[in-house]
Amino acid sequence: MLWVDKYRPKSLDKVIVHEDIAQNLKKLVTEQDCPHLLFYGPSGSGKKTLIMALLKQIYGASAEKVKVENRAWKVDAGSRTIDLELTTLSSTNHVELTPSDAGFQDRYIVQEIIKEMAKNRPIDTKGKKGYKVLVLNEVDKLSREAQHSLRRTMEKYSSSCRLILCCNSSSKVTEAIKSRCLNVRINAPSQEEIVKVLEFVAKKESLQLPQGFAARIAEKSNRSLRRAILSLETCRVQNYPFTGNQVISPMDWEEYVAEIATDMMKEQSPKKLFQVRGKVYELLVNCIPPEVILKFMLSQRLLHELLKKLDSELKLEVCHWAAYYEHRMRLGQKAIFHIEAFVAKFMSIYKNFLISTFG
Amino acid sequence: MSDIRKWFMKAHEKGNASAPKSTSSKAGPARNAAETAPLKSEQASEDLETAARRKTSKFFGKDKTKVKDEKEVEEIPAKRKLKTDSDDLAKPRPRKVTKVVDDDDDDDFDVPISRKTRDSTPSKKLKSGSGRGIASKTVDNDEDDDGEDAQDKETPLKAAGRGRGGRAAPGASTGGRGRGGGRGGFMNFGERKDPPHKGEKEVPEGTPDCLAGLTFVISGTLDSLEREEAEDLIKRHGGRITGSVSKKTTYLLCDEDIGGRKSEKAKELGTKFLTEDGLFDMIRSSKPVKKSLPERTNKGTEKICAPPKTSPQKEETRGKPLAKSSPNKVPPAKGKKKIIETSLPWTEKYRPKVPNEIVGNQSLVTQLHNWLSHWHDQFGGTGSKGKGKKLNDAGAKKAVLLSGTPGIGKTTSAKLVSQMLGFQAVEVNASDSRGKANSNIAKGIGGSNANTVKELVNNEAMAANLDRSKHPKTVLIMDEVDGMSAGDRGGVADLIASIKISKIPIICICNDRYSQKLKSLVNYCLPLNYRKPTKQQMAKRLMHIAKAEGLEINEIALEELAERVNGDIRLALNQLQYMSLSMSAIKYDDIRQRLLSSAKDEDISPFTAVDKLFGYNGGKLRMDERIDLSMSDPDLVPLLIQENYLNYRPSGKDEAKRMDLLALAAESIADGDIINVQIRRYRQWQLSQSCCVASSILPASLLHGSREVLEQGERNFNRFGGWLGKNSTAGKNRRLMEDLHVHVLASRESSAGRETLRVDYLSLLLSRLTSPLQTLPKDEAVSEVVDFMNSYSISQEDFDTIMELGKFKGRENPLEGVPPPVKAALTKKYNEMNKTRMVRVADMVQLPGVKKAPKKRIAAMLEPTVDSLRDEDGEPLADNEEENGSDAEEDSEEATDGQKLESNLKNLNARGIQVELDLKGAGSSGSRKAAGKGRGRGKAADASAEKKATGRGSGAKRKR
Repeated sequence: MLWVDKYRPKSLDKVIVHEDIAQNLKKLVTEQDCPHLLFYGPSGSGKKTLIMALLKQIYGASAEKVKVENRAWKVDAGSRTIDLELTTLSSTNHVELTPSDAGFQDRYIVQEIIKEMAKNRPIDTKGKKGYKVLVLNEVDKLSREAQHSLRRTMEKYSSSCRLILCCNSSSKVTEAIKSRCLNVRINAPSQEEIVKVLEFVAKKESLQLPQGFAARIAEKSNRSLRRAILSLETCRVQNYPFTGNQVISPMDWEEYVAEIATDMMKEQSPKKLFQVRGKVYELLVNCIPPEVILKFMLSQRLLHELLKKLDSELKLEVCHWAAYYEHRMRLGQKAIFHIEAFVAKFMSIYKNFLISTFG
Repeated sequence: MSDIRKWFMKAHEKGNASAPKSTSSKAGPARNAAETAPLKSEQASEDLETAARRKTSKFFGKDKTKVKDEKEVEEIPAKRKLKTDSDDLAKPRPRKVTKVVDDDDDDDFDVPISRKTRDSTPSKKLKSGSGRGIASKTVDNDEDDDGEDAQDKETPLKAAGRGRGGRAAPGASTGGRGRGGGRGGFMNFGERKDPPHKGEKEVPEGTPDCLAGLTFVISGTLDSLEREEAEDLIKRHGGRITGSVSKKTTYLLCDEDIGGRKSEKAKELGTKFLTEDGLFDMIRSSKPVKKSLPERTNKGTEKICAPPKTSPQKEETRGKPLAKSSPNKVPPAKGKKKIIETSLPWTEKYRPKVPNEIVGNQSLVTQLHNWLSHWHDQFGGTGSKGKGKKLNDAGAKKAVLLSGTPGIGKTTSAKLVSQMLGFQAVEVNASDSRGKANSNIAKGIGGSNANTVKELVNNEAMAANLDRSKHPKTVLIMDEVDGMSAGDRGGVADLIASIKISKIPIICICNDRYSQKLKSLVNYCLPLNYRKPTKQQMAKRLMHIAKAEGLEINEIALEELAERVNGDIRLALNQLQYMSLSMSAIKYDDIRQRLLSSAKDEDISPFTAVDKLFGYNGGKLRMDERIDLSMSDPDLVPLLIQENYLNYRPSGKDEAKRMDLLALAAESIADGDIINVQIRRYRQWQLSQSCCVASSILPASLLHGSREVLEQGERNFNRFGGWLGKNSTAGKNRRLMEDLHVHVLASRESSAGRETLRVDYLSLLLSRLTSPLQTLPKDEAVSEVVDFMNSYSISQEDFDTIMELGKFKGRENPLEGVPPPVKAALTKKYNEMNKTRMVRVADMVQLPGVKKAPKKRIAAMLEPTVDSLRDEDGEPLADNEEENGSDAEEDSEEATDGQKLESNLKNLNARGIQVELDLKGAGSSGSRKAAGKGRGRGKAADASAEKKATGRGSGAKRKR
């Protein structure tokens, strides 16, 4: 088993990072009814872990007994019926799913599953009517329609069904939903916290951590605890015992994106653009989400390189365009077009910049 | 109307001496062309005789008068020139300067010819003045010429040269207007090599018919013209182009002898070779010949344009000279009046009267004729006998089915043939209701048309009685049978029934024989498939009609027309009639221009469309043309554009600018994508034009130019859009990824999302799976990897998925360095472990009322050992029976296994999980099948399952 999963805190009491939030959550569910919750924060900060721990807190061990189901729905939408299929993870008391997998028909999923859950309410041991929990992942990727339809269903069935929403960025969740939930922001853990966790893992695995090695991993991890632990294990697999100056190798795709960024800095020509297109295709074919590509391309390399050239204005402009094209990418469908548009824009700006400064 | 025109012309002649030139040349050229030099001179003398031509002949009848006239001419344009030429002068002049060299050798070439042909009126001044005759296209430039001519009166020879130079300008400009081609070689960007001196030479303008009667074959790359341009040039001047060399070929046009098949054949046949320059010279040299002509015949031609060109008829007119020529003054006008009066469309007026007149498909007409004439021999007499005969004679059918594209004479031939054989034709077409006949015929025939048909078919006597005296026989023509649809319920079936019992012949006519509706009908009919007539056939007939209508048009133009209308002779006639309203002489260019748009209706492949959009003169296309091009395939064209826009180099832009343009284009393409989402997702189809502008037209207009190659060894053609392929690969990988994700989730060790799994987990998974294989000794490595796989429920397939996704182009394969024996050992070990592996399987929960069986893919996905399952699925029954037999034997073996499993199971059951047991051997296929199908086990499987259920206490669970 991977260390990430092995040392994942299973209960709210065992949480190391975000201890305060964990305690608050615990109070929330023990003392009173649980409201709808919206967890948001960057990836690798512990949202999922907290949610799972919270469920365990509410329902006890039965929350862990999940089964994977491939469920099919037949939704009657006016004149036609729509067949939908989705993988769900469910226990007796909760259902977890990623509605955005259903593409633009996600709103039917949201409506159907909540109705269905409301139909068979569980009765807890004391004979009191309990509630079920529906965990929705990637709410920020839900279409606007789905979010709107969620709004109503949330209220209508709130007596029998609680929602726990989970997403990276709350800005893509509509205000209406945000206001109906208790928003819980999960920060990315600080580097110190990550180091603490890494040392904890190392101790449990009885590994020798050289001085500063954990710190380096933490630094490389981009404040994602998950990635930190994963790369610790990667290092362990690659080379043990650790040496002080061991290379912390980036992810395979990170390397590849970095290569693209270097290409873009090196030469700005249609030919290069064509090569970049090929590489971006390669990444997309390998299931790397386009947003991740764009973001990494920008944050890790381009800005870094531009910083060396000491041009903050250009940096701003590039950031602006990256944001612009990322937004458009979500509006559109063919991600490659938008990434390519960004690359072309960057090349054009950068080339003009080079010509104007260096002649 | 034509009178007005006439009056108009006269007024012009009086008021402005330059006007007759334009009018005469409008009417003249088509006719001029057909005439050969001797004829012309002959006619010239004839002209002098004609009283009607007095007025005009003063221009050249004698030198004295001519000089006078010349002066008149000079004065007026000179004045005009002042007004209009301030800008005009600037344009043609510089061009002339560049052309001086050309002109010079032209002159050498010209002089002898012009002298020869102008024996009758050998005035040099005439020559200088004659410059006006041809350049009818733009009056301004014409006048310019005149002015110059006036200035250069003393040196006429030079003037001729100059005049020509000036004329080149209008020629060029009209060319640009007409074809978007321009005088240069900015033609389509095709596969053929570019002409080396593309657009560098001036394309000459000669008399419209100077190449008449000559046949050309073009081979290889020409010096300055694109192939299409050259064809156009030759056709415009009355020449004929064929694809391959034959005896009839006059010239083989080629600039470099590439030694292909054409040139070999030409050498064999002794065909003359002609270079592009030679062609130009030929065309140029035609000019002086023509120059003299329009002036000589100036008004006369206009008036006698009715007599057609073929020599016998000409003889006729010449035979009765004076008497006829004066009435002849008006014939075209009269002819036209007649048309207006009768107001009969030409299509009706010139509908063939006898079968021989039908254009093309003569053999089919004969076949139809034979069929109809023998019909009564075959099927006549008593109905039953006829039927019997029909059965015996498989070839004979009681009905025919004529099929073919519209306008090629199906209905006409059906009618004609029946008429000729004395049948009375009863035509029923789509405008009549042809639904299934009311079965109760007793209602009488007064009712629906369908009943009439039925009646007709049933009762020969009655049908014949309708008009017994004249037509003893009747034939039923069912027109447009493929149009039988909604309104005509059961139409075709009823028609078939009618055919079966029919006592009269039935002719069915349709456009598309392969239509689904007619599938059943075809079996009962003799199919006669009409083909499109060739353009020569059509041109011949059209020529005949044009002659009869007094329309001046040459054969090449008609052939072009025939080609453009795509075999539809009715359309061709309509077009011709329409054009005849506004002009009395139709030239090749007129037809081209008129039918330019209709030619677009043909299918264009997306590649051609993209070629055109990105081509050199992509910028000159009209907006509607561009929209047409990009709409030719609104899905593919944008993809092709996106794939290829990087390869185009917009002319006259430096690298930085090009990069800017690329960025703009890329953004526009992205815009197109966004709009496309709106269209598809929210069905905003009104946006489709914006989409096509954003995704195709804008990028193309920003970047059109020459295509260059970005990668070594790439062919310089537009690539097919890569997005489709990449997207489907990405989709496949996403599905595989989902499988892996589900397995990992099912292992209950991790609850990571799919994206996280890919972005964060995958590289570690990869190294956990591969690095032991690379470093550790074989057995140890294999068992470690298999353990790891088991802990996350990673199946062999998932293993491959991880390897596949970890692979990047240009990077080494993650499995590199793993020796094959290790791989084999891994597979073996994994399969071995299958025996005792417990796999958590995603449950198939069926919602009430939902009957959908899980898709095979998902079923397979939930199955850990798919390979073995598939093998066994092949013969499920046999397997199950075997199982029953072998169960007993294996029971003992299983006992030990079973105990272990039992404890495990209890453990799991306590945790409330559903578990499927996978045991290699006896029970495995039964239980697996259960998982695979989700429900409904075979009887045998059931039995075995129950047997084990007692042993393990898990039966109930498993049966669900």
